[in-house]
Amino acid sequence: MRPRLVIAALGGLGLLPAIWKIALAMPAFGEPTGAYGPVVNRLGPPLRHVSNMVGAVNFDFRGLDTLGEELMLVAAVTGTVLLLRGIRGEDLSARPATAGLPVVKRAESTILVSRLLGPLVLLFGFYMAMHGMTTPGGGFQGGVALASGLLLLYVGDGYRAWRTLMRSPLLAAVEGGGALLFALAGFLPMVDGKAYMENVLPLGNIRDVFSGGLMLVENGGVALAVAGGFAMLFLEFLEETRAIDGEDRG
Amino acid sequence: MSVLPWLVAAWLFAIGVYGIVTSRNFIHLIGCLSVCQSSTYVLLLSIGYRWGGVVPVFYDQPVGTPAVDPVVQALVLTDIVVGATIAALLLAMVIQVGRKDDTLDPQRLRPLVREGRR
Repeated sequence: MRPRLVIAALGGLGLLPAIWKIALAMPAFGEPTGAYGPVVNRLGPPLRHVSNMVGAVNFDFRGLDTLGEELMLVAAVTGTVLLLRGIRGEDLSARPATAGLPVVKRAESTILVSRLLGPLVLLFGFYMAMHGMTTPGGGFQGGVALASGLLLLYVGDGYRAWRTLMRSPLLAAVEGGGALLFALAGFLPMVDGKAYMENVLPLGNIRDVFSGGLMLVENGGVALAVAGGFAMLFLEFLEETRAIDGEDRG
Repeated sequence: MSVLPWLVAAWLFAIGVYGIVTSRNFIHLIGCLSVCQSSTYVLLLSIGYRWGGVVPVFYDQPVGTPAVDPVVQALVLTDIVVGATIAALLLAMVIQVGRKDDTLDPQRLRPLVREGRR
């Protein structure tokens, strides 16, 4: 550990002047010099009829970049699932376990709070995902909230109840389907000879929930992919708590 | 004053790297990596901040109000989500390493050998 720390310290000392120089050369804090953001802020609402500019950047102006991020997310989830499921075997993951590690008995208050909060968190997730084009929120945030709501089911009702509801083929379909929806939505304008991801659907009225045209479809795709992906991650990690070898194969 | 946000970002990154260098446990190491990643959030959001700017959501404020940069916010947003899934991927790898070598110490990590399959 010592030599490692010495090398790191030397490297850090060497970088220090460069960091200081760069910090001094950065634009003044609070007075951004980039033109892109202000242009989006000014032209976004009249051009795309949406009020949330972060959503507009994500799903319209830089939609192609978001597609890349989306695929990164899918790739990371796929890798995790492969690594974890690879040891256990595919057939074992497909159905709920009959035995697992001993479960700590939950307090009644925990069960009550989880059951009360679960549906509320799910509702909030839907709300956030749906209002991505008008108010702060969108598919990414809403999807994570949805997955957390599903996880509350595990906290409240335990592994068995969670596993009877969460089927990995279903989650895989939701995750992959969402990403596919996003990618395919981009092809829709090409049927008409337009560019990939050009917003051809009716834009609707600003401040309306259903405004933004094609952005709504992409936003929905992201919400599905993120919710499915995170739920899939939870499921695969929770599978690690089940009995590993032999006992529950029968 | 104007340098402070950039130095905070550099400091966050540096303590993350320090944690990675001195780490004796892979799970701790992944936590340190997340600290490194947080420095990018500070950097990006500081680049886009505007004194007196409002959120870039024009729901109840007229278009043209000075607002902070929405592009960097969109970047941070996707960064966080992808970062979380990457952390999950790394943790899955840690589980594999723990099974294979029976240790989570990066120092005691042995090279992969072909016949060492379970």
